[in-house]
Amino acid sequence: MSGVLVVMEQRGGNWNRMSFEALAAGQQLAAKLGVECSAVVAGDGVASLSAELTGKKLAKVFTVEHPLLKTYTADGYVAALEQVVKQAAPAYVVFPHTYQVRDFAPALATRFGQVLISDVIAVHDGPVFVRQLLQGKLNADYKQTGAGPCFVSVQAGTFRADAVEAGAAAVEAFAPTLDAARIRNKPGELFRESAQTVDLSAAPVIVSVGRGIGEQENIGIVEELAKALGAELAASRPICDNGWLPMERQVGSSGQTVSPKLYLAVGISGAIQHLVGMKGSKTVIAINKDENAPIFEVADYGVVGNLFEVVPALTKAVLAAKG
Amino acid sequence: MVDVTLAAVTGARCSGATLLGTWVSATLAEPGYFSWLETGLLLVGIAVSLTLFFWRFGPILRNIFRSKKDTDFSLAPVGRRVWDFVWEVLCQGKVIRQRPLPGLAHAFVFWGFLAFALVTTNHIANGLRLGFLSPESYIGRFYFLFAAAWAVLVAIGITGLFIRRFFVRPIWLGKKVSIESGWIAFLIFLLMVSYLGAFFVSPGGDAVRALWWTHTLTLLVFLPLIPHTKHLHLVISPVTVFLKRAGFSKIPPLHGDEDFGLVAGKDVTQLVSLQVYSCVECGRCTEHCPAFNTGKVLNPKEIILGVRSYLNELGPASEVALLAEARPETAFGETLSMEAAFECTTCGACEYQCPVGIQHVPVIIGLRRGATNTGAWEDTYGTKLFLALEKNGNALGLSAMERDKFIQKEAFPIFDGTQEYCLWLGCMGGYDPKGREIISDFARVMKYLGTTFGVLKKEKCTGDPARRLGNDLVFQTLAEAGLKAFETAKVQKIVAICPHCVRTIANDWREYGIAPEIEHHSEFMARYKDRLPKQASGESIVYHDPCYLGRYRGVYEEPREIVSLAGTLVEAPRSHERSFCCGAGGGLVFLGEEKGERVSHVRAAELAGTGAQVVGTACPFCNTMFRDALAEMSKTPPQLLDIAQLTARALPEMHGLGTRDQGSGER
Amino acid sequence: MKILVAIKQVPERDAQVHVAADGKWIDESDLNYTINEPDAYALEEALQLKEKNGGEVVVVCAGPERVTSTLREALAKGADRAIHIEADDLGERDTLGVARILADAMKVESPDLVLTGLQSDDLGLGQTGVVLAELLGIPHATIIMHVEVTGGGLKVKRELEDGWFQHVEMPLPALLTIQSGGNKLRYATLMGIKKAKTKETKTVQAAAAAASPAIMLERVYLPEKQKKTEMLTGTPDQVAAKIVEKLKFEVRVI
Repeated sequence: MSGVLVVMEQRGGNWNRMSFEALAAGQQLAAKLGVECSAVVAGDGVASLSAELTGKKLAKVFTVEHPLLKTYTADGYVAALEQVVKQAAPAYVVFPHTYQVRDFAPALATRFGQVLISDVIAVHDGPVFVRQLLQGKLNADYKQTGAGPCFVSVQAGTFRADAVEAGAAAVEAFAPTLDAARIRNKPGELFRESAQTVDLSAAPVIVSVGRGIGEQENIGIVEELAKALGAELAASRPICDNGWLPMERQVGSSGQTVSPKLYLAVGISGAIQHLVGMKGSKTVIAINKDENAPIFEVADYGVVGNLFEVVPALTKAVLAAKG
Repeated sequence: MVDVTLAAVTGARCSGATLLGTWVSATLAEPGYFSWLETGLLLVGIAVSLTLFFWRFGPILRNIFRSKKDTDFSLAPVGRRVWDFVWEVLCQGKVIRQRPLPGLAHAFVFWGFLAFALVTTNHIANGLRLGFLSPESYIGRFYFLFAAAWAVLVAIGITGLFIRRFFVRPIWLGKKVSIESGWIAFLIFLLMVSYLGAFFVSPGGDAVRALWWTHTLTLLVFLPLIPHTKHLHLVISPVTVFLKRAGFSKIPPLHGDEDFGLVAGKDVTQLVSLQVYSCVECGRCTEHCPAFNTGKVLNPKEIILGVRSYLNELGPASEVALLAEARPETAFGETLSMEAAFECTTCGACEYQCPVGIQHVPVIIGLRRGATNTGAWEDTYGTKLFLALEKNGNALGLSAMERDKFIQKEAFPIFDGTQEYCLWLGCMGGYDPKGREIISDFARVMKYLGTTFGVLKKEKCTGDPARRLGNDLVFQTLAEAGLKAFETAKVQKIVAICPHCVRTIANDWREYGIAPEIEHHSEFMARYKDRLPKQASGESIVYHDPCYLGRYRGVYEEPREIVSLAGTLVEAPRSHERSFCCGAGGGLVFLGEEKGERVSHVRAAELAGTGAQVVGTACPFCNTMFRDALAEMSKTPPQLLDIAQLTARALPEMHGLGTRDQGSGER
Repeated sequence: MKILVAIKQVPERDAQVHVAADGKWIDESDLNYTINEPDAYALEEALQLKEKNGGEVVVVCAGPERVTSTLREALAKGADRAIHIEADDLGERDTLGVARILADAMKVESPDLVLTGLQSDDLGLGQTGVVLAELLGIPHATIIMHVEVTGGGLKVKRELEDGWFQHVEMPLPALLTIQSGGNKLRYATLMGIKKAKTKETKTVQAAAAAASPAIMLERVYLPEKQKKTEMLTGTPDQVAAKIVEKLKFEVRVI
């Protein structure tokens, strides 16, 4: 049992980009241990995807194809990958920490009497896998103590997809044995919710505007920024009270409570009624001309400046970065 | 018999003195004798009248006595009860002071009735051939004239009240004009006129007998009407005033495993029954209610009458829910609604105004308890608040580490038993930027005065919002934790900037233990007013009485003394006991949007309307409510400062005090 | 329908944590414990399913004596019965070990549906549910927003990345891990607490750890980066560039 096996993820013939971060992780781990790194792609009709991987520094690219794997099901993937892992016998199986991986990888690990070390943010010598505990308050070092393959999933952004080393890899087809009767779930089509009402609680990025904007006409510059970021527009209470934005966009104690990845507070002072609505945001960037504004106490990044200058500049920079 | 003739009166040239002289020598003319038939008729009349009276009064008494016993009731302190009785009932103190002109008219009628007590007794006794007051004796003559004077006042009073009800028609008396009140007014007027008339007729004539029987029949008709109308208060409201729960807005403890508050009729206690039957429908409570005055559904009078209707219709043993969500067909369905019950800011203006001793706030909170303790109240914000209190121990749902950071930044000493005071931050003082400013400034004042203080390492909310919203589970958890924290830290004296904290710790926590003595920072600072600097700013400062400091705690002068040190004190149109709520109380500041006008805006407009340069507050909740409201009213609103900030701004820069950058208070 | 909800008692979210002397876990001396918040959502889902479809909700929790308070809270919120798996050595077991003792207690109950939260607030591995399903031999689905009982089983709404959703039809018995925020949590009421006194809590002993754990937590330590506000300065264009860099590499929204 040796080597690193990276499980790549695809849906409908398209990669989940995080897979390449896992690939980089797998390659680096293999290099540190002085062993080989391989990859596996599961699905139906994924030959072209495997072909893409032939230009990477890998020992093998397993192409696992079966009609029952066309649509993802936990039963199908666990059964198929169990067979691949048994055959390839890697010492480490590396996954990207995606929604799909969370759904099946723990079951796969159980089949080997193992436990998945999930959402890893760093790999140290040992190998020691670092995870976060208590909502990021602590870091923890995990090690495998049992015998058997070690299953690991890596957090998004821990490794850089562009760090994947180029090379040459051979493709090996693998036909798993699957039984339709053992696939118990019937998944439906993917769909998006119709955006009828504003659901700020689901938005990953929110740009929020406060009294610092001055006049209703000025809201346009913040709307531009929101559009550039693909963000939802929100506001503090006074803006909605004035009718400049609809009440459903209000964030605060009498409005919505949000916890997006990014909360950009523009011209918001940070009164408690507003703070309680957005304190759960992962990252807060605040722009306010008053350096004593309470919003800066909860911000990760703060800009003391004139929003009428900073916001348009930021919009321009964001659009440029997105290309 | 002294001879008074109509001729003497009408014939004489009416010089006041002559008339008066003629009058004074007059006395009541009564029938000389009564036939057995008349006595018999009288007895029958009395019997019928009394029967009809008890026919209605009996069930009411039954409803009251069959209600649940009040487990926390005690007659002591009797002195207080006697005083309230003397002042409110006998002197009609509240009735007159809160609505002077109608109050005085009513007082006349009431005192007149008292004055008539002997007269009426003697009147009936006469008919039973047992009369004891002779119109010829000096006592008799004096007394009948005395009563006559009152009769005039009563007649004037009742006429005035009649005109007010039927022509002026104030909305507080209800949308529909009460016809029955008209009849009662007429009967009272008739009683007076039929009594006074007996001074102007010669004794022994038919007129005397006619007047006597008119008076008697009016009495016999009046009596059974009493329990059928709000005039029941004639009989029971003196008792109601005497038996009031001691303490303003006192919330009774729950008793036993099945008690969740006012869920159904079976939870209504004797005291509440007595009170709702005493309601005179005067509408003074509603007149001063901030919710009603800003277009909300809540109407305190209708809540009380709703409970009364419920008792009349379903009785005190009923299991049917009081809050009428599921019974739209009932008369009280509209007013006894969950929506109304949860619009109350618990400001207490209603309870304060009530002249017959009804205590509205425990009833409304009782209804809330019934809904919240059983999970019937499903409100997004309410649930969020309760979960925040459960999980984070503060009403804002913020991490306790935020408070730790504040304490560290300000370098507040931690209470270790050596300091004199424990400075209680509270949720606003610990987490709200403005509340924190008030705490910092007050800390500076204490340092200046050389008072040692420390803050608790960990604080949880006092539970005030949970208490007022009827969540006894959360409240009990927080109260017990708080009491334990004070005990462990060996705190002896507490000072706080928030009247809600002060009230809850001093009064509501008693259900679970006795807390160390606590005072509000206005009471603290007022004691040292001679050592605090007198500012020559000449600024006009309008002071807003917080509900929980004013009506609830009776503290009116101390904050004013502090304000007067900082500038010129200006009074708002509604101040002291009539102060108009800021709208935050009763847990409402944590709930969602309010209907109608915003209470805070109405009050802010009133305060700003005085033209004062500064609005002075003594409560961090009032402060936060006015901050947004004032900013929205004008581009140059008056400054908004707590009394601690007003004081601290004049303190010299001392070592360790630092300066406070006094911005416009507006961010 | 018999629904089993696996709940975990974790340290309060708010608590300030100190690393224990041996560096292997946190100092538990001053901690307050509470229900794992995602499990509270699972419980809420179970209660709502019971209210809609009838049946019984049984909460299961493994841990030392102190977890009984969390079980009581769950009973107060409306669960019908509680099962306490007494185990003082959870720290020495890994996910598989814990899932095994849960499975042992649950097999006996023959549930129709098993619900768990998405992950725990303390360790956050997010796997116990899936492993439990594997051990019980029942189908599972994760990150579920909505559950509907149909004639043949369940129809659930599964959350995916980027605002995508998917419906999945499943037979019963099954296991679901519930996403937080799908339902509104209810608050514990006085009436609930009083009723909880009369509800049954069964205590079972955890079977001894079968094998040594597959993975081990070696040590915990504070991360180097503490949360501090970084002020960005410069001209508007400079500031904008700095922000964009943060958005690309730190926040990763571009």
